[in-house]
Amino acid sequence: MKQFIVTTAMLAGAGLSCAVAAAPPKGDPEKGKQIVSQVCLACHGVDGNGTEPTNPEFPKLAGKQPEYLFKQLNDFKAGKRKNEIMAGMVANLTPDDMANLALYFAGQKARPGVVKNPALVAQGKKIYLDGNPDAGVPACAGCHEVDAFGYKLYPHLAGQHTEYTFLQLKRFNSGERDNDKGLAMQSVTAKMTEQEMRAVAEYLAGVQLK
Amino acid sequence: MKKIYFPALVLILAQTVPALAGAPQQPKAPGIESKSYVWNEPAGEKAEILKLKGDTERGRNAYRVCQGCHKPNGAGLSDGAYPQLAGQHATVLIKQMADVRDGHRENPKMFPFAGKHIIDMQEIADVAIYLQNMKIPHDNGKGPGASLARGKELYKNDCHVCHGENGEGDEKKFYPVLAGQHYKYMLRQIVNIRDGKRRNANPKMVKVVQNYTDADMEAVVDYMSRLSMPERSAARK
Repeated sequence: MKQFIVTTAMLAGAGLSCAVAAAPPKGDPEKGKQIVSQVCLACHGVDGNGTEPTNPEFPKLAGKQPEYLFKQLNDFKAGKRKNEIMAGMVANLTPDDMANLALYFAGQKARPGVVKNPALVAQGKKIYLDGNPDAGVPACAGCHEVDAFGYKLYPHLAGQHTEYTFLQLKRFNSGERDNDKGLAMQSVTAKMTEQEMRAVAEYLAGVQLK
Repeated sequence: MKKIYFPALVLILAQTVPALAGAPQQPKAPGIESKSYVWNEPAGEKAEILKLKGDTERGRNAYRVCQGCHKPNGAGLSDGAYPQLAGQHATVLIKQMADVRDGHRENPKMFPFAGKHIIDMQEIADVAIYLQNMKIPHDNGKGPGASLARGKELYKNDCHVCHGENGEGDEKKFYPVLAGQHYKYMLRQIVNIRDGKRRNANPKMVKVVQNYTDADMEAVVDYMSRLSMPERSAARK
């Protein structure tokens, strides 16, 4: 057991370095689709738009950046992003498999999300676009773009399930998720209240898709 | 589904998560309060970054982590919460970022997004030149306009030798462009400089403003907020 704890601690430390370059992966999305139909579809849906009913652990992947998806798959495999379910799923994937999967999901059309609590959307929009200058929360739009369609390693967030976005913000805040570039998300969420996280998540679920 | 979660594993993971959650801590270097303080000592990371050649295109990318606060056009917020950066001298931007990184300038809001953990020296040089090449907007926050004559008099007497007639500063001497800067931001800085709270202040500057009253400061900063540097400014609509 001790051995295991030490190894885990080392992995957690390694998670801080950001090794994967931001160039898009090269591969064949059709080959990715074959893996999806065997491995991913139960949780993420065949087109990466998730499943009904939604589960906070299962994000939509459709339309996310290939760079981002590729990095997350690599991080799950290397233990930099700690998730028991995904660790098992990626264990047998080769780097080519992960590139193909990233390209497949990136090429799928994202479907609109569902706002659960419309009363929070206006507040969430304000934080997303303007941040909270008093608390030093930067506008999310600075990195994730005004339309929430993301850029390279800053993921597409538009239409994501509310519960998933909220859970990730909470995990960045607690440090449970720590594979963010330069601790950026951990720094942002350190300045946010839980209520603000919920509001941003609701806003993002309802962002218009193109 | 629940069965494939391993509660014990989750518990262990939670315990071994390093205590790094949240904002990294800014270091502290000797500032104006210290006897050994030398303003703008040509040393450390700043000296290294100043030797690098910045690239505007790369700067556009590296600026992403900045624009959540300073906005895509570099204008910050007119209420002064975040300064205007477009058209600022690259040297000044590099000095200020290096000062935040090594703890000469305290800035807990900025440090998490400007420290060595998130942006490297080349990216600082790139961001600096990217911002210098941006056009200064005209809609910066201005003062109330009540004592501009007094402000002009103070500016001519005390400020324009270093900061220039039009607030153009001096890139070689690391004196900032004032033209287009927000009134409330400059007011906060000048008060902090007078009161010893801006730890990377130039002692010459402290001397100039040490006997200023709050009313003097408001007057001169109001005048400054109306300066314009045509060669770096956006075209008027």
